[in-house]
Amino acid sequence: MRRHTRRIFNICYRFTGNRTEAEDLTQDVFLRVYRTLASYRAAHGGFATWMTSVTRNLLIDHYRRTKRDRVTDSLDDAMPVVENKESVARRPDEQALLGELSGQVQSALTRLSPELREAVILRDLQQLEYIEIQRVLAVPEGTVKSRINRGRIELARILQQMGVRPA
Amino acid sequence: MTWTCEQTEARLSDYLDGLLDAAEWTAFNQHVNTCAVCTPLVASVAHTLGGLYALEQVEPPPNLEMAIVRATVGVVHTKYDFWAWLRGLQSPRFVYSAVSVAATIVLLLTATGFNWRKPKLADLAPATIYRNADARVHLVYARSTKFVSDLRVVYEIQSRMNEADQNPAMREETIPQSSPKKEPGRTDNTNPSSPKQQNRADEIGRSLRVLACEFPILSGALVDRRVP
Repeated sequence: MRRHTRRIFNICYRFTGNRTEAEDLTQDVFLRVYRTLASYRAAHGGFATWMTSVTRNLLIDHYRRTKRDRVTDSLDDAMPVVENKESVARRPDEQALLGELSGQVQSALTRLSPELREAVILRDLQQLEYIEIQRVLAVPEGTVKSRINRGRIELARILQQMGVRPA
Repeated sequence: MTWTCEQTEARLSDYLDGLLDAAEWTAFNQHVNTCAVCTPLVASVAHTLGGLYALEQVEPPPNLEMAIVRATVGVVHTKYDFWAWLRGLQSPRFVYSAVSVAATIVLLLTATGFNWRKPKLADLAPATIYRNADARVHLVYARSTKFVSDLRVVYEIQSRMNEADQNPAMREETIPQSSPKKEPGRTDNTNPSSPKQQNRADEIGRSLRVLACEFPILSGALVDRRVP
């Protein structure tokens, strides 16, 4: 359970960029897994993949809910609000936890669209294989590759806008 | 193979993940090295990827696991906890343990003199249990000592008798002569009814003689008793 808790918490944290929200979402994931455990079929993939699917669905639900709460029209306008909320809510130990580049990458991640963000997180942070990401996102392999590619390029552009350039 | 900027952007992840074949990889590199647009793009994405890989795992709060357990098992199934607990009592392991514990308690109480027919609460008082156990231990010790002492005497007698049986010369020397008119083992001046009885009488008489020889004091006492 500890291994899964850590993994799910990290996915949630990288997606939301907020520890408190990640904690609540991790708890919700386990609650949903516990309630829908009977629907798990080993033939459709490993248990970790299934848990990741549940996590992804909850994260998308959470993103849509918070997007409505923010009452914004576009994602680009909405994200700075998240950043402001985060900067207010973030504790000093969280600030220390994020290194310079890591903090910038994390900040840039939260400005990606949710589709690209989840693909990049699953591939580059959780080190999942394409086939596993395909199962989690329930999209074809070509779409998975395309989202990962576009996510990386978009992330690089955002970092450039933030003034982060390769040495 | 000709390579375009669109291809570079579309296949950039394949290049970074090492999924391009040799021809594609060569064409990709040749294009990127000569294209002013693609060179910074590849460099920035590679740098971003390095930043992503450098992100370390974040440790969840220490109380998160307990919160999850409370939110799942602790809350959802509170109603069934009692029955789950009861089901746990039916497991063979618990039953065997309970029986062995009960047997141990019964043995200990019995050993301490607890009266099962008329049980009294006072018998379970620690002072009473201690007193009864102490008395029992002393009683058992006294009986054991007596038993060992008796055994020692019996073995001593048996060994002497065996020595006497195996060495007739010594027996003649050590065994006092009985009165000529009186048959050994006969106290009522009657003839034995059968040879078997005669043998037994002889055996007893021989034992008595050995005893008289080995324990003169006892023999004297017996004689003294017979005299009057």
